[in-house]
Amino acid sequence: MDILTQNFSEIRSPTSFCEDVGVGGTTVRDDLAEAHRLAWEHIASPGTWWTAAERVELATTVRLAIDDDDPLPPWVGVTTSDRLPGERIVADVAHDVAYRIGRHAATVSRDVARAVMDEIGELAYVELCAIASSVAAVVHFCRNAGVEVPPFPEPIAGEPSREHPALADAELNWVPVAAPADEVAAVVQAYTAVPAEQVNTWRMADAQYMPEEDMIHADWSRREGGLSRAQMELVAARVAQLRECFF
Amino acid sequence: MLSWSTATTGGEVDLAAVAAGEGDTRLERGDELLRFATACATADDDELARARAALADVSDEAFMVDAAAVAANFEMMTRLADSTGARLPADRLERSAQAIGVMGADEFVSKR
Repeated sequence: MDILTQNFSEIRSPTSFCEDVGVGGTTVRDDLAEAHRLAWEHIASPGTWWTAAERVELATTVRLAIDDDDPLPPWVGVTTSDRLPGERIVADVAHDVAYRIGRHAATVSRDVARAVMDEIGELAYVELCAIASSVAAVVHFCRNAGVEVPPFPEPIAGEPSREHPALADAELNWVPVAAPADEVAAVVQAYTAVPAEQVNTWRMADAQYMPEEDMIHADWSRREGGLSRAQMELVAARVAQLRECFF
Repeated sequence: MLSWSTATTGGEVDLAAVAAGEGDTRLERGDELLRFATACATADDDELARARAALADVSDEAFMVDAAAVAANFEMMTRLADSTGARLPADRLERSAQAIGVMGADEFVSKR
């Protein structure tokens, strides 16, 4: 644990760059900075089905996909290109789908997801999806706010926990979820089969968007003079439209 | 995430303007927010820098950072939804039908 603490204390979170490099001297509120710091630590920690080294390798592929100035089309696997390092520890199929989720998520079909799950396992796929979505949030936040994305931390040694709750097949998702299925929205239950990813994702959502318990309040705002719900939904709708996300 | 998001706007936003990326959104600072959101999800870094500055000019930098965080959140949630095959229940789809049509979402490859 001392080693973990030591390593983590040296990690600069994405939002710490906002404070140091500055967006005109802007201070990023503490909850957002903390959520992003924890997300970066989480990427480099042993997961439930992937080691930390594997998680960082997959996260690096997702970042490559997001930053790629000349992106591959969705039907071309990134492992068939020369864009990844030659020596890799993660299976090609996982890198290919990580790149696709990073750059062309709307094109991921049930058949594509099923084929990947058949090769790497359903819950490893769920964890991969969560790595991709959390990397996308941090990388895009840095770009949006105009600050540099920090490198991923060094991976922490350790084995995946391989722990999971009782599972159920869902009607509202392709992936298995924690039982009982379909009692909450599809996006809320999507990562419940891998609880560590569920916690990380919704901690980020609370800070980036709004706390879950406040979603019922149409007049919610983070502070006086801050974004209104309607202003937030304008931003959300436009991003979702440009990402062609029907859900 | 489009159907889910537009169902929560309560009709306050002119979705046709959002869909077009221009026009009167009927919201305070709507022009600047729409320009910023568009720039966040497209590849022109110079335009993003201009849109970021324009938004901060009509609000403050904390407001801009919060908008940047909301946009980032939906970069996360769109990937979550599309990689895990998230679907809306039929009743929610029905309630969102008009917004889906206005936003052109019926044509999305991710419709399922």
